[in-house]
Amino acid sequence: MASESAGPTISIFENFRNELDEHHDRHEQHLYTPARSRHQQTPPPKIAQENQSRLDQIHALFTSIVPDVTGINSWRYQRQISGGIQEFIEAISFEHYLRTQTLISLPETQARLPIEILVTEEDYLMGLFDLTGEMMRFAVMALSSGNATQTREPPQGTEAMDATQKLPHLSSSQAGIVIDLRFLRAALEALSVPRRANMFRDLAKKVEVMQNSVEKVERAAYGILVRGSERPSGWMPDLSAPVEMEIH
Amino acid sequence: MIDQQIFESLQTKIDEETIVRDELHDIVQTLARKGRSTQAILSRAHSTPTDQINSVLNDATVAIIAQKQEVTRLKAVADQHPFYKYNGVWSRELQNLVASIELCAWLGGLQEHKGPESKSFMTIEDVGKFLEVPVNLKGQDAFHLTIEEYLLALISMVEELSRLAVNSVTLGDYERPVKIGNFTKELFAGFQLLNLKNDILRKRSDGIKYSVKKVEDVVYDLSLRNLINRDGVAE
Repeated sequence: MASESAGPTISIFENFRNELDEHHDRHEQHLYTPARSRHQQTPPPKIAQENQSRLDQIHALFTSIVPDVTGINSWRYQRQISGGIQEFIEAISFEHYLRTQTLISLPETQARLPIEILVTEEDYLMGLFDLTGEMMRFAVMALSSGNATQTREPPQGTEAMDATQKLPHLSSSQAGIVIDLRFLRAALEALSVPRRANMFRDLAKKVEVMQNSVEKVERAAYGILVRGSERPSGWMPDLSAPVEMEIH
Repeated sequence: MIDQQIFESLQTKIDEETIVRDELHDIVQTLARKGRSTQAILSRAHSTPTDQINSVLNDATVAIIAQKQEVTRLKAVADQHPFYKYNGVWSRELQNLVASIELCAWLGGLQEHKGPESKSFMTIEDVGKFLEVPVNLKGQDAFHLTIEEYLLALISMVEELSRLAVNSVTLGDYERPVKIGNFTKELFAGFQLLNLKNDILRKRSDGIKYSVKKVEDVVYDLSLRNLINRDGVAE
């Protein structure tokens, strides 16, 4: 019995082997590449040109995987490329924020990638969580750089300043990022994600890191306002509390 | 300046996805419940003498056909969405069903659904035809049975058969362990042809060799005591 039926069984499995090999080739050789080329963000305008060339490289990498993720396979390998896309969204949303002080929308992120590459709500949302980390770093740097506080100039022709005007306050751009971060935190916390959704898995950790980032900026802003006038040059906000920047 | 609208539409999308997921999940729950009764029926094979197996097979066939109706319902809903987006919701239960089908067919049931070239088990095409679902679709994004799911089902079936080999001896059937032995070795040889990566299929298929060994031990015990002759026929 074994010998006579070995033929067909073996040939069936040879067929399976070829199919699986095709799948594994796609899986391994291409799909991890975008994730590896992580885009290191730095604020424009000086570095805008360099950013653009990096973004072009990433775009080229995404274009190279297009043939493998079209049609039915667009969701098949979603998990594999998701990490790369999240990183990409983190980078471009930060760059977008620095340029426009607004949040990039999901269709706008999709427009920055080849049309065949699927950007899921999950990728977008996770990218936004990571964005809060980038914004935190940027805000802390901005707050601690020289012109953090200013005393409002009395309007021309008026009498001496009253008490509130003498208080130190953040410049509007610095105050803006704190307000935006707070708003982002509120909006992200307000989302209700059901337990069964794919993204639920990573969510709790992301929320925690995001909350830490926001609090860190709030603490930095507080530190600048309260102790701003006493600080020696080169003083940095108190960031001693451990905060994880990102999770991967 | 953060646009509130962004988060409202995000929430809408999440809610829409949840509705789809819940709908699929409900069908899969029913499929799973019916699957458990199919498996309960099939496990009677372990205590049923070979000459009375037909009553088990008939009951199992009825239960399997009841499950098939759930697959039809599942297919109708799943076809409206990208296949791999929700595949994880039903993949496990579909594998269990295919494993039941294969076991039932190996024991002699579902004969009319076996293709002319099929031996003791049903090919992936046979299973697809029986369930009325496409198999191994590549060009078209629609519900289907994947190769991985089919292979994982065969592995479950082999595990069940290795248990049956032991129980057959208890029931006084000395020929069936030999048949099971030949069959599992044949499948094992097939799986060895596959270039498996570090995934679920590799992990599960590593288990086949233990099933093969379990059956070989039974056959060895039988032949050592001259309970079967060299051709595997009971003396």
